[in-house]
Amino acid sequence: MENAALTFDRVKAGYKGRIVLDDLSFQIREGEFISLIGPNGCGKSTLLKTAAALLKPVEGSVCLFGKNVRSMRPVSRARHIGVVPQKVESPMAYTAGQIVMNGRTAASGLLRGLREADYVVIERSMIYTDVLYLKDRYFMELSGGEQQRVILAMVLAQEPRIIMLDESISHLDINHRYEVLRILKRINREQQMTVVLVSHDLSLSAEVADRLILMDNGRIAGDGTPEEVLRPDILDGVYNCELRVQNDPLTGAIHVSGIFEGFNDSPGKHKTVHVVAGGGTGIELYRRFALYGFRVTTGVLNKMDSDAEAAQALGVDAVLEKPFSAVGDEPYRKAAEMAGKAEVLVVSDAPFGPGNLINLRLAEEALAAGKEVWIAGGIAERDYTDGKQAAKAAEKLIAEGARTWTNLRDLMKNLKG
Amino acid sequence: MIKKGLHTGAQPAALLGIRTVPAGRVTVFFVAVPMLLTLCLFLGPTGIGFPDPETSIGKAVMTLRFNRLVMGLLVGSALSVSGVVFQAILRNPLAEPYVLGVSGGAGLGATMAILFGAVSAIPLSLPVAAFTSAVATLFLVYWIASRGSRGAPSVYSLILSGVIVSAVCSSLIMFLVSTASVEGLHNVIWWMLGNLQPAPLQQRLVSALFIGSGFAGVWLLASRLNALTLGREMAHYQGINADAVIMGGLLFATLTAATAVSIGGMIGFVGLIVPHVTRAMFGPDHRWLIPLSAIGGGTFLAVCDACARTVIAPVEVPVGVVTALAGGPFFLLILQRKMKHAWIG
Repeated sequence: MENAALTFDRVKAGYKGRIVLDDLSFQIREGEFISLIGPNGCGKSTLLKTAAALLKPVEGSVCLFGKNVRSMRPVSRARHIGVVPQKVESPMAYTAGQIVMNGRTAASGLLRGLREADYVVIERSMIYTDVLYLKDRYFMELSGGEQQRVILAMVLAQEPRIIMLDESISHLDINHRYEVLRILKRINREQQMTVVLVSHDLSLSAEVADRLILMDNGRIAGDGTPEEVLRPDILDGVYNCELRVQNDPLTGAIHVSGIFEGFNDSPGKHKTVHVVAGGGTGIELYRRFALYGFRVTTGVLNKMDSDAEAAQALGVDAVLEKPFSAVGDEPYRKAAEMAGKAEVLVVSDAPFGPGNLINLRLAEEALAAGKEVWIAGGIAERDYTDGKQAAKAAEKLIAEGARTWTNLRDLMKNLKG
Repeated sequence: MIKKGLHTGAQPAALLGIRTVPAGRVTVFFVAVPMLLTLCLFLGPTGIGFPDPETSIGKAVMTLRFNRLVMGLLVGSALSVSGVVFQAILRNPLAEPYVLGVSGGAGLGATMAILFGAVSAIPLSLPVAAFTSAVATLFLVYWIASRGSRGAPSVYSLILSGVIVSAVCSSLIMFLVSTASVEGLHNVIWWMLGNLQPAPLQQRLVSALFIGSGFAGVWLLASRLNALTLGREMAHYQGINADAVIMGGLLFATLTAATAVSIGGMIGFVGLIVPHVTRAMFGPDHRWLIPLSAIGGGTFLAVCDACARTVIAPVEVPVGVVTALAGGPFFLLILQRKMKHAWIG
């Protein structure tokens, strides 16, 4: 149990021109049941590919049982690590039995075919995953759950010491999902097989895994028992939304879910928000506010600005100025009227120049009228006016009671109050 | 790791009984093939008959028929096996021996050799030119396809660059043909239609050696080709050096097809359809598919050639016409009923 099964040592890896895994280090011991979790695009699949030597790390090393995976021969590598991909397809009409036989191909060498011992392994893994009765059916005509079990049998026939599953069970129905998980739990317990399960289902991961590794942006954001990792303060930041973690009073199981509150309430209960944006910085704000039932207005924006187009697409009331021109008096007056009806004014992280500096006056007016004003932090870096007028104006506003925001999640939390 | 407890006394293979190939059909196949081949020897312009081997004319006729039979077997099996390999590696039912530019390259080489007078000077220069330019075209296609991708090229870029290079070659051939003399034109067209006039013995032996080693190469890769149809990534996870298998397979298959083209010209249809029919009849396991389609393809071409030289004797129909006209409907019938045993999805 003490042996290190898989070791990542300061690994940087990714695709052409894009580093996904950023200086990643961790160790998995033999016999552990691990669930690898994290949002889409955080590098889970890249990690799997790097572990199986499909991707070459740019820096650092990946070791399987103390041996560098890059220096292993393919056959020996396959006996150390087996991977079940998300989906496996064969265009040709192989039977399930023939598919499982592929698991022994590499081990059987070029010149000799499968031996009796190979068939013993094939049979055993097919019994383990309960697919022996499917052996003469066409693989591609099986149901998703059956296919997944056949592929699992094929990978088990490699006799690997670590098995990694890449979201392979997430598209199965609940019955088949638990069936595959039971198989995995069993081989983990009986044969000390190390299991690494990539999953999106946090509650399920907490249920089956001894240890969770939470990834975010190619780094490890949390590593430990389910109780240690599935905490709102860790998860909220990684998934960039509010999550609720509950313990089932009967079983003690951890249950993670998103929050719907405020979503179905009548919009009248919610505030109207006026957003000062530009250059594409408003899109996510409009979307989030609209999603949580706020009434959103925005302006002044230039026509053809990506924010203006997004506002139009999302049905957000907007005051527009001609393309590429400074904000004139008439649009400003309209925007001021609009902002006057809103309870909250939010300034996005838009760049400010002489053309749209006047938009900050909306914030001044709102503050003077006793309204809540939120300004995105770090305005000085986006200030292109002479003498940093925007930054100065923002400083003054903050001194008078405007608040700053840096990430959307906290802003949403505060506004929902 | 699954523990290696081999204490079960039962025969595991028998116990498991994974059906890889239908035994009954294989038996029928192996009975039918010698009968068909014998029939080819008997088929002559005057109907079915056996020329008296005692007379010198009879002897000559038999030798000629036998040699053409051998040519048909060689070329047919080479094209079929190379079709099987291309379809497996490219995971595409439209793949055939000529897909990566073998035909275009060979055709261009042969056309130049004929039109620039090399052939009339040294007859052997035709197959040599066809062969070398076919292989050179494969390398060109492979090189184009692998630019911009690390390691081995993707299947799609291989197919696309193969099609494009072939098209360029065809245009060059058309240009050469349009400027050629009438006599050269006739020679080029005749070569491109394909025919199984026996090549000189030495050339046949060399070709048989090439084709034979190509067969041996792809047969060694057979179980890896099975794994490769699940995709390059999955094959890699299973401990198979997918890039090496793809490279080796393409090389062996092209070598085989180029050799066939160099002795038989461009006979179409065989390399596309025989693999499909063999797969539909015997399943997609390449350990069986490769030898069976070699035998099946060879027999098919030999039979077609026997028909080609007899149906409207003494005029000889190009064998490529027979393969398509006679074989087409027959194979379509089989595919209609059995396609689901070959390709799914």
